[in-house]
Amino acid sequence: MAQAEIHKSTLGWRGIVRHLHLAPRAFLPMREVGELKLIAGIGIEGDRYKLGHEAGFYSHLPEEGRQVTLCEIETLWALKRDYGIDLSPAEHRRNVTVEGVPLNHLVGRQFWLGETLIEGTRLSTPCRHIEELTGKAIFDPLVHRGGLNCKILEGGLVHTGDLVRSF
Amino acid sequence: MAATAVTTVATVVTGIEAAGPGIKYFTLEDPDGWELPPARPGAHIDVNLPGGLVRTYSLCNGPQIETRYEIAVKHEATGRGGSTVLCNKVAVGDKLGVSLPRGGIPLPAETRHILIAGGIGVTPFLSVASALLHRGESDFMLHLAARGEMPLARLLAPLQARELVKVYDTTGGRPDLSAMIGRPVPGIQLSCSGPPAMLDAFEAATRHWPPDQLHIERFVAPPLVLDPDARPYTLVLARSAKTLEVPAGQSMLSAIAECGVQVPTSCGGGICGACRVRLLEGNPLHHDRFLSPAEREHNLLACVAGCAGGRLVLDL
Repeated sequence: MAQAEIHKSTLGWRGIVRHLHLAPRAFLPMREVGELKLIAGIGIEGDRYKLGHEAGFYSHLPEEGRQVTLCEIETLWALKRDYGIDLSPAEHRRNVTVEGVPLNHLVGRQFWLGETLIEGTRLSTPCRHIEELTGKAIFDPLVHRGGLNCKILEGGLVHTGDLVRSF
Repeated sequence: MAATAVTTVATVVTGIEAAGPGIKYFTLEDPDGWELPPARPGAHIDVNLPGGLVRTYSLCNGPQIETRYEIAVKHEATGRGGSTVLCNKVAVGDKLGVSLPRGGIPLPAETRHILIAGGIGVTPFLSVASALLHRGESDFMLHLAARGEMPLARLLAPLQARELVKVYDTTGGRPDLSAMIGRPVPGIQLSCSGPPAMLDAFEAATRHWPPDQLHIERFVAPPLVLDPDARPYTLVLARSAKTLEVPAGQSMLSAIAECGVQVPTSCGGGICGACRVRLLEGNPLHHDRFLSPAEREHNLLACVAGCAGGRLVLDL
């Protein structure tokens, strides 16, 4: 299948935005909000990784996929089920917690997050930084399911409860 | 692009007040009033001071206050210089980078806490008392020994009003620790924070207590004792792909720094945990007073650790 056709593939999944978070500087607790303003090619208004702000723990290692990051709520359920670890949506430090979205399948794919269009650039890898912040041994359990790094193609507002669907 | 990695929590000094003999009380907040990284009761932070000094201070406020770090600093004119910088050079509005809060005093439920402090060493217990009261628990007693004027009187006043603190003026001699400690009874946790002589006396007086009922808070690293049996060893930094030969007597931290690999450090004496490094292979000599037995399986504090064999491999 040609790459353009892959991008437009509409295999059957449809998800929902469950939680939205941001923090203005490295190390600070993520704060839950009702909406995020995504700016194409730049990042999230008020977040530590927005281009021109550069206040994140990894801002010295710039990457377009840090414009917005996603995590599956199913991963949090699995951490509890398989490891007995309670990890809240505020603790994984991704911006968007989704349900029903197969993030690992979306590297290189474009999809709609509410009214915004984003593209998966790579799987998020867990980091020791998160273990340091949470004090929880989550590095190993999050390998291969740490979420998805994305760049923003078309900006706009994303709200809790918005639909997530393939392009 | 940020030129260098962000390594500290950005704070701004929002308050400085006199708080007793030679003591200043500093309030630090996020520049926008955002919540700060959470702390456990009795935790401490490293403060990066103007001029490059890094000093560790206990948080005085209870962790339920999420937007402030409050520290009390006693000016020690003959100290190592940190308190002089803070007390004389830092003003309201100044920016200070601090570390994530570390450490803390476990507060199991249904436990009576006996907190024994000497002078400015009372600071972590203010946080502990605040946390306990916030939980609706008042089954604790703070014993505070101080020479002359009491430190931090404004903060201690609410505890005094509830008869949760006993103050001993040491001008006439040291108080009787054994009377505060009593006999070993299940359900009691003893904690001590103060000058080295008090901690030594506390250790001597609690030798017959189960270790899991004791907590000692050290502010001054105990002097490093050169190990006459120290041997040279090989240190492998796995991620940096470097192999170092560490001569007998050199600290692991200085050997790592000499080859250009950065490890955060603060106390330099194995009590604060800033230089904690993951251990991949080998049999270290720990020498620290920070890591639990379980943590020692896979970690060491590079400022004080040595090597029991010929080779260690670290995740650096």
